[in-house]
Amino acid sequence: MRAKNFYRALSLDDAYQKLLENPKNSIIAGGLWIKKMGQSYETLIDISQLKLDQINEDNDFIYIGSMVTLRDFETSPIVNNFCDGIPAFGIREVMGVNFRNIATIGGSIFGRYPFSDVISALLPFDVTLSFYPEQSMSLEEYLHYKGKIQGILVAIKIKKEKAKGFYKKVKTTALDFPLINIAVCKRNDKYYISVGSRPMVAALAYKAMEEADAGLDFKQVAKTAVEEYAFADSFSISKNYRKEIAEVYIRRGLEEVSK
Amino acid sequence: MEVTFILNHIKVTYNVRPDEYLAESLREHGILSVRVGCDESTCGSCTVLIDEKPAMSCSVLTAQVEGKHVTTVEDIQDEANLIADYFSDEGADQCGFCLVGFALVIHALCREYEDPTDEEIKNYLVGNLCRCSGYNAQFIAVKKYLAEVKKHVKK
Repeated sequence: MRAKNFYRALSLDDAYQKLLENPKNSIIAGGLWIKKMGQSYETLIDISQLKLDQINEDNDFIYIGSMVTLRDFETSPIVNNFCDGIPAFGIREVMGVNFRNIATIGGSIFGRYPFSDVISALLPFDVTLSFYPEQSMSLEEYLHYKGKIQGILVAIKIKKEKAKGFYKKVKTTALDFPLINIAVCKRNDKYYISVGSRPMVAALAYKAMEEADAGLDFKQVAKTAVEEYAFADSFSISKNYRKEIAEVYIRRGLEEVSK
Repeated sequence: MEVTFILNHIKVTYNVRPDEYLAESLREHGILSVRVGCDESTCGSCTVLIDEKPAMSCSVLTAQVEGKHVTTVEDIQDEANLIADYFSDEGADQCGFCLVGFALVIHALCREYEDPTDEEIKNYLVGNLCRCSGYNAQFIAVKKYLAEVKKHVKK
């Protein structure tokens, strides 16, 4: 990675104006993926001084600043009190603690990475992303958004609902990217199934969710879910293998949250 | 650009490139205990504490630690030596390259958890790789070290 300048933003507007100055300027969150990508930047804009590293709640929502680290997220009592801590489960096994103390929630979501455990774990919940300047959209809308948002991800808002959840990731070694991420949740008497598997970004399995709501057998629902999702081959694992294991864990997830 | 931070309780100002990583800066300034293994945020050999939290210095820009407290193993020498003894007793250490990172992470573990479970210990140490030995001996060494620390805290 190369960068000619490093700029410490004094406010969100300051950061935004700097971002607009040059297409080769970029916001830096944790900076881990920026390093791996090996690209060149004119200016890296640091927003770490803007107090975006807080987790708060009110009666209806949990508010997570985009600069909250994965470690702070997974250990937050607020997050762990919600839905048996399922949103934190996806994050607990991302690399080591020394990695999760650097990586941020905002950075993990903004990049829409296909390997993202964070996205898969949050997708079954009612999650809204707030950007600067004034723009907000659901996590799912953002995943389908064409092009790149010219703004700064400021906060992630999770609606507090009575929910039961299940999360499972499968990987070959502790520090590898996950082969599959499965998150299942039941909230307001409706089922939500999120599947994440490289090289595709995570997605909700709508047809399968409808089948589950209609009371179909979970074996059938799991089969439908894996048919809906576009699994792909990679050098380490075949598409069919991903499908096979995803189907099993989706079924187990449905059984778990229906109890 | 100039970056000022607290290194092992001493205020320092480094002149660095905007894209320079902390491990590189520290090594250039003579802190050779910071070892770069994989240089891609995986092995944990370059771990330092930033504001008391373990972080991989190969993946944090020096510019990002402006105003922060950075701790290297030089600041916890006695504790690191004791950890090394426990590793040595269990045959958990061969070349020693990874040990500095382990020592800092174990130091942080002791401060974050009063009485960590086996799972918590493993989860905390998973980001530190050792190419020489198996992890079982290290796990036993850490357990024994933690038991010793607990005994001292009780006293």
